[in-house]
Amino acid sequence: MLRSSHSPHSVSAADLRPSYLAAGIAAACVFALYLVTLAPTSALWDASEYIAAAYVLGIPHPPGNPFFVLVGNVAAHLPLPGTTPAMRVNMLAALSSAVAAGMWFLVTERVLAGWLPRRWQRITGGALAALVGATAFTVWNQSVVNEKVYTVSLALFAIVSWLVVRWCDDPDAPMADRLLVLAAFLVGLGYANHPAGLLPVPALGIAVLARRPRTLLRWRLLLACGAALVLGLTPFATQPIRAAYHPAINEGEPTACTDGFAWRCTLSAETWQRFRANVDREQYGKPPLLERQAPLTAQVAMWWMYFEWQWLRDAYVEHPTLQTALAVAFLALGVLGGWAHWRRDRRSFWFFGPLVLTLSLGLVIYLNFRYGWSQAPALGGSVPREVRDRDYFFLWSFSSWSVWVALGIVVCWRALARRLAPDGDLARRRPWLLAAPLLLVALVPLLGNRTQAPRWRETLAPDFAHDLLNSVEPYGILITAGDNDTFPLWYAQEVEGVRRDVTVAVTSLLNTDWYARGLLRRPVYEYDADSGPAIYRDTRWPRPTRPVLALSIPEADAIPPYVRLTEPQLFREGRVEALVDPRNLRYGALERADLLVLRMIRDNAGTRAVHFSSTMGDYPDRLGLGPWLVTQGLARRLAGDSLPPSRDMIEIPGQGVMDVARTRALWDDVFRGPEAIVRRGEWVDRASSGIALNYVIGGATLGIALGLRGDTAAARTAIERARRVADASRTSDLVRLDALLPPPALPSDAPPRGEVPVRQPPTDAP
Amino acid sequence: MPRSLIQTLHPVRWWLATALVLLAGYADLVRGGVTVAPLLLVTSYCVLAPIAILRR
Repeated sequence: MLRSSHSPHSVSAADLRPSYLAAGIAAACVFALYLVTLAPTSALWDASEYIAAAYVLGIPHPPGNPFFVLVGNVAAHLPLPGTTPAMRVNMLAALSSAVAAGMWFLVTERVLAGWLPRRWQRITGGALAALVGATAFTVWNQSVVNEKVYTVSLALFAIVSWLVVRWCDDPDAPMADRLLVLAAFLVGLGYANHPAGLLPVPALGIAVLARRPRTLLRWRLLLACGAALVLGLTPFATQPIRAAYHPAINEGEPTACTDGFAWRCTLSAETWQRFRANVDREQYGKPPLLERQAPLTAQVAMWWMYFEWQWLRDAYVEHPTLQTALAVAFLALGVLGGWAHWRRDRRSFWFFGPLVLTLSLGLVIYLNFRYGWSQAPALGGSVPREVRDRDYFFLWSFSSWSVWVALGIVVCWRALARRLAPDGDLARRRPWLLAAPLLLVALVPLLGNRTQAPRWRETLAPDFAHDLLNSVEPYGILITAGDNDTFPLWYAQEVEGVRRDVTVAVTSLLNTDWYARGLLRRPVYEYDADSGPAIYRDTRWPRPTRPVLALSIPEADAIPPYVRLTEPQLFREGRVEALVDPRNLRYGALERADLLVLRMIRDNAGTRAVHFSSTMGDYPDRLGLGPWLVTQGLARRLAGDSLPPSRDMIEIPGQGVMDVARTRALWDDVFRGPEAIVRRGEWVDRASSGIALNYVIGGATLGIALGLRGDTAAARTAIERARRVADASRTSDLVRLDALLPPPALPSDAPPRGEVPVRQPPTDAP
Repeated sequence: MPRSLIQTLHPVRWWLATALVLLAGYADLVRGGVTVAPLLLVTSYCVLAPIAILRR
């Protein structure tokens, strides 16, 4: 017989048997919920990068997450009928979170074993934990698309938690040592999935010290744990091996091999140095922990803001009081559950309590974030901010909190049942059933997040990629800025095979050395005219024979990080004359990325068109290229050779020249993004609304151009379309579309139709 | 009673299976394989190794 530390009644060993079947059913229900609300394809931010990297068995951004890449690759290629690779990787995320829900079920049930006498009561408690944890906003939202590696980490955390809770039950049981060894192995795998995989270690250490400190003196067991940990870390070995084959996504390029795998270059000092730089995430240069990027109070406030999101995601601050009230209630329930855990089952508390602390306050301190994107809006740009909301980093925190919330609900349930029992006798079922409506509180996150957490209508990322790539002429180069205008293109090209002839060059990575090497190695893929837009079909597009940079790899490596300019410099290529003014440049210098962009313009004159994504803002203008750009769909093409005045070339004040015929054809016949945004209808992540805004501004600009050309009906249609996108994406407040309706008439002093000239380039360059 | 290390690491046959499948996976990866290699490696890491650790 086992006795819980504070329980008035004893529990038989049979009673302590975990309800694996019930946990499995709970996990299956959670999985079903996720499948119903699953994203049918990729998504913005890192989802496209990770799905594509898994698909090609490549290396995503540092530290490269090799365990995820392996598991994701297998998932992406599973022969499941009626699914796409992206859906299958999303299903991996859903399955991981469902497994975690099952584990939290078991942990909760185990804590209740020394407290509630009936198994059905404990199963109810476990189900509460599974439900609350699975429907907390960030958990749900991240489980229906595989944005990164966090759901796999969550599954590993939860399994480790269950193993350690079992170990805490009886550290001398025959299987106890094996549970610790398996936990060590999973911690190693967890680290190979994401560095956060080590987060359960402090709690594990505390649990061992509290339950059986002499375990730390058993050197053979420690050796076995160490060996298992190392085995779990070995997926990192896949990185230099795969990098040597230079897959399409090979971030950090952790290899010195230039032409396939060889032992000599793989076992070289250079490979080791690049591999370590990748694992240590040197590329990001994060400051030391003592150098806080925001006050600790602000960082804790950010965690609280995301905690508030979990129970009622209120993206547009329409119910702030209710949201805060629910957050306070679920905080209180969790605290109550934690207190009950401490009182009722100290053995497992010594693991789970420190784990919750590590995954909340510990993570806040370790991650050392700047202000959250949505945090303290009154401070505006006066404080450094993260580029997006980082609630997904606290997914583990909110998921594990559900165990304590469930325990808190059970405390209340039991108290109410006691009040409803005529003689206070809780042995009978009736008072428990009478008090059962209280359990409905566990449905709050399901109801509160039912519209904003699901992603089943989200298709924008690949649709946007399709639109942007098709805005580029065959074999063209597309300069992009960063995550959201780049990763969807990688996904579209590498997974769906869309417009692989286009070379995407992202400026944020052009500043690294490995990215230029990757561009040099990239094959020139054949343009598929049949699947491309009709506007490109009546022209012959010769296939280039060489990469986008006419450089050798040593020459590319020799390009300096920056070149400081002391005075304006003229860049000239063909008819293009760009005045590069250091006052317009960040740091007054041409960075490596800028040098490579200019180099690409020079090296591809007459062979490839160079386009700048419209998401680049004024980047090409700061390089002095603005007068030579023509808007074409979602990109601006560098029109260096000739730009004959015509009815289709309209100059729009403040927006430059637009190729109206091509842009209209793209909008009318090719683009999918606007409909995808309208179909989704609820833009939750405001940090990424710039993509929607891009369509709004693009549509409105097309409307203006059509109006200037005298095509009033088409102008009205374009602007109405832009307005629908603005309404769906909640960006109406940022663009005054009403001012454009009805479209402006052709100004009396405008040049005659068909003779709108391109803005003249500067002629007074030094 | 806590089990000894030798007992903990039994049975060897699961460890052998883990090691063989792992080696086969890495061998295929080294020669440039992208289909069988991940399948073997995931089988080894996610199925065989946990069984080897837990099996008495």
